[in-house]
Amino acid sequence: MSAIQIIFWFLSALAIVSALMVLISKNPVHSVLWLIMVFFAISGHYILLNAQFLAIVNLIVYAGAIMVLFLFVIMLMNLNNESEPQKNVWMRLAGAVSGGCLLMILVSLVRQAIEINNKVAEMKVGDIGLIGNLGKALFKDYLVPFEISSVLFLSAMVGAIVIGKKN
Amino acid sequence: MNWLPMLLDATESTAANYFPIGIQIIFAVGFVAFMIALSAWVGPKRKTSDKLESFTSGISTHGDARHPMAIKYFLVAILFVLFDVEVIFFYPYAVNFKSLGWGGFEAVLLFVAFFLVGFFYIIKKGALTWED
Amino acid sequence: MNAIILSALLGVVMMFASVFTENKIAIRNIAIFGLLILLASNLLNIYTPYSFNVDLHNMLRFDSFGLFFNSIAIVSTLLYVILSGSDIVKVGNYPAEYFALIFFVLCGVTILSSYNSLLMLFLGVEIMSIPLYILTGSDKKNLKSNEASLKYFLMGAFSTGIMLMGIALLYGASGNFNLEMIREKTSIAEFGILAPLGLLLIFISLAFKVSAAPFHFWTPDVYDGAPSVFTSFMATIVKTAGFIAFVKLFSLRMADLGPSYAIILPVIIIATLLVGNITAVFQQSVKRMLAYSSIAQAGFMLFALYTSNDLSTEGILLYAAAYSIATIGIFGILIKMKDYTFDGYNGLAKKQPLVAATNTVFLLSLAGIPLTAGFFAKYYMLASALKSNGSALWLVIVAVLFAAVSVYYYFRVIQAMYFKDGDAETTEIDGTFKFVLVVLALLIILIGINPSILLRWYYF
Repeated sequence: MSAIQIIFWFLSALAIVSALMVLISKNPVHSVLWLIMVFFAISGHYILLNAQFLAIVNLIVYAGAIMVLFLFVIMLMNLNNESEPQKNVWMRLAGAVSGGCLLMILVSLVRQAIEINNKVAEMKVGDIGLIGNLGKALFKDYLVPFEISSVLFLSAMVGAIVIGKKN
Repeated sequence: MNWLPMLLDATESTAANYFPIGIQIIFAVGFVAFMIALSAWVGPKRKTSDKLESFTSGISTHGDARHPMAIKYFLVAILFVLFDVEVIFFYPYAVNFKSLGWGGFEAVLLFVAFFLVGFFYIIKKGALTWED
Repeated sequence: MNAIILSALLGVVMMFASVFTENKIAIRNIAIFGLLILLASNLLNIYTPYSFNVDLHNMLRFDSFGLFFNSIAIVSTLLYVILSGSDIVKVGNYPAEYFALIFFVLCGVTILSSYNSLLMLFLGVEIMSIPLYILTGSDKKNLKSNEASLKYFLMGAFSTGIMLMGIALLYGASGNFNLEMIREKTSIAEFGILAPLGLLLIFISLAFKVSAAPFHFWTPDVYDGAPSVFTSFMATIVKTAGFIAFVKLFSLRMADLGPSYAIILPVIIIATLLVGNITAVFQQSVKRMLAYSSIAQAGFMLFALYTSNDLSTEGILLYAAAYSIATIGIFGILIKMKDYTFDGYNGLAKKQPLVAATNTVFLLSLAGIPLTAGFFAKYYMLASALKSNGSALWLVIVAVLFAAVSVYYYFRVIQAMYFKDGDAETTEIDGTFKFVLVVLALLIILIGINPSILLRWYYF
């Protein structure tokens, strides 16, 4: 097993375990911290795939900014242990069964997918993730979605004012 | 392996370039962990119940730290995220500044214009004024 | 392209309007004027070569189907704003912002009618949904509105996540975002097994957006909790735009997606019809009844996915127009009522004969009674299913049976208005409101007598 494979398996295990901990933790703040862990593991994967810009953006925007928002929301809602609603056992069971079904289907499909069996992701090679090539793709081929996404930002700003501003 | 040329040669962008950064991270984390462990091991130990309480300048604590906070913080935070994402789009443009030419400049200008409109709107609506 | 660019710019104009004026009437008039400009620009795009020339890199593709739907959506919004504009400005302290958000939703709608890349599908869905989450929660002092907004946002974000997962799988299987890649293969299974899975996930997500059973659970709560004016917008323009996006992606390939899809779609159609119609029967509030009825109507619109021929494309356009116009009218009247229960309508015919008469026309159209637009809309949908596939007869029979059930709950409102004594309390109803109601009713009857009045513009 090469060093890269060891790193890959370590990061994958870290991502999955942290993601599970997000769900399992009783304290919502701990969930957020575990989520940050997931983002770090995913960023590690991006670096393995030679998508360095994406890795850093993932850390700055998600682990940095959006997680702070998450913390704010949790503090806004004043979640104490007492205020946590009692969940119905049957609802939990139904959720577990349906989620398990989905997991089973996804896993069996991936196992059946011959085109990806026994194939390893391209590590260290490929240069589309580099910032220069990303910029060329973004400002040439994907220019229209890029410009239109500014409408999304504008509506988010209007929304922040309409919902969040005290009056 | 010959490390020195790799450390100096930054023209070729591969994940291996991150090796020095990786070493640095490992060193930083290891150093901090080592110092904490060392001070816990070497330092004197005196366990009292007062020590475990949070320090509030001598006034006894009351209540809970989980108080609902003002929406203003949240508003500023969400606006920050929006402009943060905008700035991140500048990096790929800056790297390709010359090769994209005027076409790329117009594209970025349009994008920024939309954001400036939003910024003007936010200022005029007084979303960033702290006292109200 | 005209409509996409202008709707975004008009949204900006409304944002500025909020900064410079507080006058609610002026704001409404600016919005109406903006919608007229938007309509004119879209018509220019269809019938003349005057349109913005943008290098699209194959991200969008403008065809007569999408552009004609744009016209329907813009006209519906125009009628909606003229009819209910004075109620929109009353919802909260941000009248101009509501219109700005409506324009942004229209931007999303116009993207969804012309996307040619899965990336644009995602952007369109987001631009359409995010302003809606805000509009749903715009009645900030009302706890139900807040709850509806949060529910809508969480469920909507989750469904968008599922869509992204589907797009990622489809991209992984084909290496391409473009819709042509789906079209040029004879069977989607040629991409390998990941592509059908990706399409299925996108299907689930879009089914959520159009509130098809079993992904409909958010609909009653959100439609009920949102301010009534915005429920009207949500249930009409946004819902039909979801169907246009659905049809653009799926109608071509539904048949050769494999046998499992041939089972999934009829099951979803029947489940949607069943849930919508049967639950609507037991409602006490007209607003909630309309939420379930919108699920039921979605069941009929899903027939456009079942087949792909001239009748179904014409049918979905006709359905979009007929359903939007009638629902806008019904909601316009509902907003004016002080009591949203069926009993609140008691004796409306005596107090407001004209309003009651037009309301009857709208309800008859939703029920699909002949001589109204709704009849032809349903007829086209069912005929297209029969035309392409004789074995669909049982599905058509089931649909007709459920249409008969729907007559029951629509007639409950008519019965309350005409045959029950009561004092139906309304807020003030002015002349413009009545005039627009009459225009809407006339449109319904005209299309109901001769649907080619509408459809000939499609083939212009």
